[in-house]
Amino acid sequence: MNDIVSLSLEDQIRLLEKKKISSYELTSSYLKNIEEKKDLNCFISINENALEQAEIIDDLKDRKSLIQGIPIAHKDIFCVKGQKTTCGSKMLKNFTSPYSSTVVEKLEKSQTIMLGKTNMDEFAMGSSNETSFFGKVKNPINSLKSPGGSSGGSAAAVKANMCAFATGTDTGGSIRQPASFCGITGIKPTYGRVSRWGMIAFASSLDQAGIFAKSALDSAIALEIISGFDEKDSTSINKEVPNLKNETISKMEHLIGVPKKIIENIEDENVKKNFLENINLLEKNGFKTKDIDLPFLEYSLPSYYVIAPAECSANLSRYDGIKFGYRCENPKDLEDLYVRTRSEGFGEEVKKRILIGTYCLSAGYFDAYYIKAQKIRAMITESFKNAFKNVSVIAMPTCSNEAFDLDSIQDPVKMYEQDIYTIPANLAGLPAISIPSGYKKEMPLGLQFIGNHLEEGKILNISHEFQKLTDYHV
Amino acid sequence: MKISEDTLKNISLLSKLEIEKTMKEKISKELESILLMVDQMNEVNTDKVKPMSHPLNEAQNLREDVIAEDIERDEYLKNAPQSDEGYYLSPKVIDQK
Repeated sequence: MNDIVSLSLEDQIRLLEKKKISSYELTSSYLKNIEEKKDLNCFISINENALEQAEIIDDLKDRKSLIQGIPIAHKDIFCVKGQKTTCGSKMLKNFTSPYSSTVVEKLEKSQTIMLGKTNMDEFAMGSSNETSFFGKVKNPINSLKSPGGSSGGSAAAVKANMCAFATGTDTGGSIRQPASFCGITGIKPTYGRVSRWGMIAFASSLDQAGIFAKSALDSAIALEIISGFDEKDSTSINKEVPNLKNETISKMEHLIGVPKKIIENIEDENVKKNFLENINLLEKNGFKTKDIDLPFLEYSLPSYYVIAPAECSANLSRYDGIKFGYRCENPKDLEDLYVRTRSEGFGEEVKKRILIGTYCLSAGYFDAYYIKAQKIRAMITESFKNAFKNVSVIAMPTCSNEAFDLDSIQDPVKMYEQDIYTIPANLAGLPAISIPSGYKKEMPLGLQFIGNHLEEGKILNISHEFQKLTDYHV
Repeated sequence: MKISEDTLKNISLLSKLEIEKTMKEKISKELESILLMVDQMNEVNTDKVKPMSHPLNEAQNLREDVIAEDIERDEYLKNAPQSDEGYYLSPKVIDQK
């Protein structure tokens, strides 16, 4: 029954409920697949107790949750009590988390089986998975290509049938871009929808946890479980979480906003053609669209590359070699300990972002950079607010290109441009999803839907409708 | 924006990072190209705009001021590179004279 790993989450749930398969079978099939495909380098660590946990769950009399017994994977940014949590960095290579993140706790309470922790760009800073201390992840579709980043391990693991679904985090596109590169579904909910407690911080006003799965429907099931208010996270939203599965499959009226100027300016003809064909497909099937204007969106990238590094430089100041994490050998005094610990423990990309952030926050530059970026952030948010007065969702490509060759992008600004279509939703705190929308040569392309605050249901619903019309996700 | 040797030295000092000699030129050039991209912000007039620090502009949640911590000191100290009887250890910070 090795094929059970390629089934959708929905089908696996059905078979588990009918006792046609056991969690043990499912877990061992996934572990076998992980072992067979370990060259892809998707996992940083494997949960040695997974099979034992599956057996315990199989012995339970009742099913306490919809996803009981489902094997999953966590991005190695989420703390799991008693397990290694590295964040893809030498700095945390030997860090064992003394507590679990809320996301992990919620999935544990739902009786899922954690198979392991997935590889990622160091401290979630990267768009290629090449900055990981534990080596790059390879794209399962073509191992010479990048799986995207920063949550590349999770995206590749879902694509390669190494778990039923996986968690990820998205600060500027780190769920949606790898989802697009690997041809799967990835959703970043509204900022504050999912607790950030126990999720290692990169840029706190932008970081948000989300889900990778095979389809919008599978994503909805998993996202609902990890969502909800958490008093341990001071920016968590205290609003009820709707039944996302029901919202995904219900009949909804949509008016899809298409940002005309952005689409006209897409450089890659294949990406542009693919996007327009898909909009056309939706129109042909009765979905209404409307041209919209999203002024100032072209300033998302510059604004993001002040705000994210600034917050990163503040957040990463905690790695001092004293309380936890890496410490250099034989420090001659405290200053030497700080400087050598950080210089030896962080990789090049992380250092670069700390330097940029420190520069933008330093005396004399704070107003010109940080305050200016926050003002532009406000203007971009306002643009979306105005657009959502007229439309229910906004459609855009996820990326300006398909997965690129590993090690092919050396210029940092070129790498940052990977996220031009994903960053706006982070700046405005909006929910956004990427779904497979076709191919350029053999590599997948992604279609992105952005929703208004707290309207994850609408973007899941339109994505589900799209997936009923297409088979790119199968 | 030019990143001079002095500027790089200053921000490395503030960041508690040491840039290897052989990397200085490369890092400076990369920081310059990032700042050049960031400088596009100056094309936008933002005179009357209020800066935004929270995506939903919501107030932060506060909880009741009651003891809720269950600190397991020894568990947390296990991750410290060096500790002794409940204390973190660091190199000596006071000069002996």
